Amino acid sequence: MSNRLKLTDILVTIVISIGFGILYKIWGPLYYAVKPLGIHIDQLIYGMWFMAATVAFLIIRKPGVALLAEVAASSGEFLMGSEFGLEVLLYGIIQGLFAELLLMAFRYKRYDLLAVSMAGISSCIGSLILDFYKGYIGDLSTWNLILYMAFRFIGTILFTGVLAISIVKALEATGVTNLVRSSSQKDFNSLDQ
Amino acid sequence: MNISFEESWLHKVNPALKLITLTFLFVFVVMIHHLNDMITFTFTVSILFFFCTGHSYKRILLFLIPFLLVFFSTAVSMILFGKGETTLFKLGIVNVTEESLFRGLHLGFRALVFAMMGMTFVLTTKPVLLFYSLMQQLKLQPKYAYSFMAAIRLMPIMFEELQTILDAQKVRGVHSQKGIRSLLKDIKSLPIPLLSQSIRRAFRIAVAMEAKRFNSTNERTYYYHLGFSIFDLLFIGYFILMISLGYLFATEFPLFPVTDVRY
Amino acid sequence: MECIASVNKLRLKFPEEKGLLFKDLSISFQEGEKVLLLGPSGCGKSTLLQVLSGLIPQSIDIPIKSESIQIPYSWGFVFQDPDSQFCMPYVDEEIAFVLENLQIPREEMTVKIKELLTTVGLCLDDIHTEIQTLSGGMKQRLALATVLALDPEVIFLDEPTALIDEEGTAEVWDTVKAISKDKTIIIVEHKIDQIIDVIDRVIVFTHDGKIMADGNSTYIFSNFKEELKRFGIWYPSAWEEYKKEKVQNTLTKHSDSLLRLENFRGYRKKENAITLEKAAVHSGEWIAVTGANGAGKSTLLLSLMQLLKTSGDYRIDGCSIKSFADLNNRAYFVFQNPEYQFLTNSVLEEITYELRQRNEESHADVFKKANDLLTIFGLKDKQKQHPYHLSLGEKRRLSVATAFIQNPQVLLLDEPTFGQDSKNTFKLLELLQEESQKGTIIIMVTHDLNIIHHFATTVWKVKNGKVITDWKKDDMKTGSEGDVYEYIF
Ligand SMILES: Nc1ncnc2c1ncn2[C@@H]1O[C@H](COP(=O)(O)OP(=O)(O)OP(=O)(O)O)[C@@H](O)[C@H]1O
Ligand SMILES: Nc1ncnc2c1ncn2[C@@H]1O[C@H](COP(=O)(O)OP(=O)(O)OP(=O)(O)O)[C@@H](O)[C@H]1O
Ligand SMILES: [Mg+2]
Ligand SMILES: [Mg+2]
Repeated sequence: MSNRLKLTDILVTIVISIGFGILYKIWGPLYYAVKPLGIHIDQLIYGMWFMAATVAFLIIRKPGVALLAEVAASSGEFLMGSEFGLEVLLYGIIQGLFAELLLMAFRYKRYDLLAVSMAGISSCIGSLILDFYKGYIGDLSTWNLILYMAFRFIGTILFTGVLAISIVKALEATGVTNLVRSSSQKDFNSLDQ
Repeated sequence: MNISFEESWLHKVNPALKLITLTFLFVFVVMIHHLNDMITFTFTVSILFFFCTGHSYKRILLFLIPFLLVFFSTAVSMILFGKGETTLFKLGIVNVTEESLFRGLHLGFRALVFAMMGMTFVLTTKPVLLFYSLMQQLKLQPKYAYSFMAAIRLMPIMFEELQTILDAQKVRGVHSQKGIRSLLKDIKSLPIPLLSQSIRRAFRIAVAMEAKRFNSTNERTYYYHLGFSIFDLLFIGYFILMISLGYLFATEFPLFPVTDVRY
Repeated sequence: MECIASVNKLRLKFPEEKGLLFKDLSISFQEGEKVLLLGPSGCGKSTLLQVLSGLIPQSIDIPIKSESIQIPYSWGFVFQDPDSQFCMPYVDEEIAFVLENLQIPREEMTVKIKELLTTVGLCLDDIHTEIQTLSGGMKQRLALATVLALDPEVIFLDEPTALIDEEGTAEVWDTVKAISKDKTIIIVEHKIDQIIDVIDRVIVFTHDGKIMADGNSTYIFSNFKEELKRFGIWYPSAWEEYKKEKVQNTLTKHSDSLLRLENFRGYRKKENAITLEKAAVHSGEWIAVTGANGAGKSTLLLSLMQLLKTSGDYRIDGCSIKSFADLNNRAYFVFQNPEYQFLTNSVLEEITYELRQRNEESHADVFKKANDLLTIFGLKDKQKQHPYHLSLGEKRRLSVATAFIQNPQVLLLDEPTFGQDSKNTFKLLELLQEESQKGTIIIMVTHDLNIIHHFATTVWKVKNGKVITDWKKDDMKTGSEGDVYEYIF
C-alpha cells in the first residue's frame, strides 16, 4: 500500500475540485453581493473557498491531496473567467499549502472534525496573510478588523469542518469512496475462506 | 465553451510564458502603492482586454459588468471603514476619510486589474494548449496535466448530468412536496449524487487512460509542439513599454495628489 | 499456438461482500483466438476481463489471489460506456494521446491518426472534431481506433455495443471483423447474432462464476442448448424457440383512446427537437419507439414526461397535460442510464422508495410486492447491496423493477432490455405484457427487431426529430427480412 498519488487519485481529486471550482464561481458574485454591506457578513461564507481541500482529503486520505485540490479548484474557477482573476490562483496555492501543512502535522492519520477544522483554519490564516498584503486589511479600524477575522473563522469551521464531514459521510454511504481507498489486509485474507 | 471568436496575436503567445508574465505582473501590482501608478496600469491592461482578445465588444462589455461590481464592493468597505485622519464624512460607525477614500479607490482598481488580466488570459488561451505548454516549458508532470484536461472535458458532461439527475428525482417524486423545508431537502438531495457520479466517472476515465498505456514515468512525445515566437517578445515588450510610459505620465501629470495609500 | 493470457486458480472477492465471486477459476487463451465469454448477467464477466488485462488489481484496487497469472504483453480494452473512456475533448487529440504514450514522433501522428480513423470507418471531414458531437456508435468506433493505435496482441471488448442502435452495432462488429486478423480477441456480449461468425471459441459461465462449457461455437450451441436455455443465456435460435413455446397473446382491443396528441412538440434550448403530428393511443397499447442513435427517441420520452418544454395538445384520460404536475403520477419514466435514477443506498430501499414516500400501502404489502419483484428479476440475494455496485444488467433490471411497483397509466421506458441475458429479457417482456393487458400504455424505446415483431402493437419511428406514427406492424412483416430492416432504420 503506497501513499503516492496514483493517476486515479489525481483525476478524482481534480474532478471533485473542478466541481468545487464551478461552485466557487457561482459563490463569487454572491460574496460580492453581500460584501458592500460593509459589516463583513460576506466573511461568513468565505469558508466555502477552503472546502475543496478538506472534502478531497477526507475522500482520498493521502498526502498532497489537499494542496492539489485547492490548486485545481482555483484553476477551474480561474479558467471559467473568475471576477477575481489571477488572484484566485495565488490564494488557492497558499490556502492549499496551509491546509496541507496542518494535515501533515497530524501525519495524515486523522480524518475527524477537529483535524479538518484545523486544516480549514490554517487555510484561513493563509488567506488572511494574503489579504493583509493585498487588501490592506490592517488599515481597517480595529473593531472592524476583528469582526472581519472572527466571521471568517466561524465560517471556515462551518464549511470545512461540519459541512465537509457530513458530505463525506453521505458519500461513504453510497460506497463510492471504496473506489479510491486501498483495500485492507483483512479483505485480502478473507480470500482464503 | 463553444463561442466563436477571431484568433488574435495574444492567442499566439506561448501559454506558459503568458501565465508567468501575468504572475509577475500580479506581484508587481501588489507592490504599487500609488494611486496614480495604479490608474495608468489599469489603462495598460484595459487596452489588451478591450481590443486584443479577438472577442466581440458586446461580449467584452458583458464580462465587464461583474468586474464593475467587484470594483465597487472592494472599494466600498475600505472607504467606509478604513483608517485615516482627514475626515470627509462621518455618520455613526461610518467614517470616510480622504486617506480611506483614496485607499478604497486604489483597491478597487487593483481588483479590476486582476480581473481583467485573468479574463484576458482566459479569453486568449485554449486550456489544452496551456497544459501542453506547462508540460513542455515548465516540466509539469503529465499525470497532472492530463488529469486537468480530462476534468475540463468532463465539465459540460457534468452539467448535463445535473439536469438528468434533477429530472430523474422529479420522476421518482423527490421534489413533490412544497414549502421551505422540502426546498432545503431538495437542495440537499443534489450534491451527493452529483459528487458520487463524478467520482465514479473520473475513476472510470482514469482506468481507461491506464488501459491506453498512460504512464507518467515514461518519456513521451507531444502532439502539439509549443515553442516561442516573436509574439512572446511583443507581449513582454508591450508591458515594459507601457509601464514605463505610465510611470512617466503619472509623475508628470498626477491626477490625484496622494503619494502612498497605505496608512 | 502459444498461450497468450491465462490465470490459474483465481480467487476474487469484493470488499464488504460475503461470498467469493470467483473461487479457483482457471482459464487460458491461445494466440489468435477469437473468444466469446457468455454467461448470465452478474456472473462476473466484466470483472474477469479486468483481471485478465491486469486492470484489477493495478488500477482498480480489489484483492485477488492466484497461483499464476499471465497478462498479455500488449492489449487494448473497449469499455461499454462510450462517455467515460476518453480524456481529451477532440477526436485527433484522443488518438494522439495514445500515440504520445507510445512515444511516436510528432511528425508521424497526423498521418497515423487519419489511417486509424479510416481503418475503423470513421470518416470525418475534419479530424479535429469534438468527441461530444459524435453519436454512440461513432464514439465506440473511435474507442476501437485508440485501441488499434496501441497495436495490441489482445483486444478485450466488454459489451461495446450495449448503448448503440442496430446500425451502429453492425458497424462496430464489422470493424472488429476487419481488424481481427492475427489478433486475439476476447469478447463479452449478450447479443450474439452479429458476432457468431467471428468467434471460434465460446466459454459459458454459470451464474456463480464457474465454467460450464468451453469449445468451438458449433459444439457449444448444438450440445449445450438446454443448459443455455436453463441459465437464460442467449443462443442463436433463442427467439424462435421462445416464440414456439409461448402462445402469442392477442391484444384485447380497448376501444377508448386514453392518450391523445396533436401537433405535439418538445423543445431543447428553445429549439424544436421533436415533433409528433397526431396520435391517439388506446389503453393497453404497446408502442415501440425506434430509430437511429440521436434521432430523438429519448427526447420524445422526456417530452411526454414533461421534463422538457412542450407545446401542442396532449391529453391523458381527457385531462390536458401542460406541465409535470399535471401528470400527477399518471406516467412513470425509466431513464436510459439507470445510474441516475438511484436515490438510496440499497437495492431493497430503492425498490420500495416510491411506496414509502407516498405511504400508500401498509408495510407488509410493500415488502411482499418488492420481494416478488426482486425474486423475479434475480436480485433477491443482492437486496442489501448498493445499487451502484451491481453489474450493468442488474442495474438496468433494478431501474425497470421500480416501474412495476407503480401503477401508472402510461409507462415510458428508454431501452429497458439492453445488456440483459435472455432469461431476464423474456421475463421483463412478459411483465410488461401483463401490465399492458391490465390497460397500461407502454411506450418503449428499443432497437431490437424481435421485440418490435413479437410484442409491440404499434411502431413509432423517429427520424431527424420527427415521429412517424402511422407504421402498421403488419406492414412491417411483409417483405423479406432485409426490407424490414430498411423499413425501420
Ligand atoms: N464494486 C463492487 N462491489 C460489490 N459487488 C460488486 C462490485 N462490482 C460488481 N459486483 C458484483 O459482482 C458481480 C459480477 O459483476 P460483473 O459486472 O462482473 O457482472 P457481468 O457478468 O459483467 O454482468 P452483466 O452481464 O450484467 O454486465 C455482480 O453480481 C455484482 O453485483
Ligand atoms: N442535453 C441535451 N442538450 C442538447 N441537445 C441534446 C441533449 N441531449 C441530446 N441532444 C440532441 O438531441 C438529439 C436527439 O437526442 P436523443 O438523445 O433524443 O436521441 P436518441 O434517439 O435517444 O439516441 P440514442 O439511441 O443514442 O439514445 C441529438 O441530436 C442530440 O445531439
Ligand atoms: Mg458486464
Ligand atoms: Mg436515447
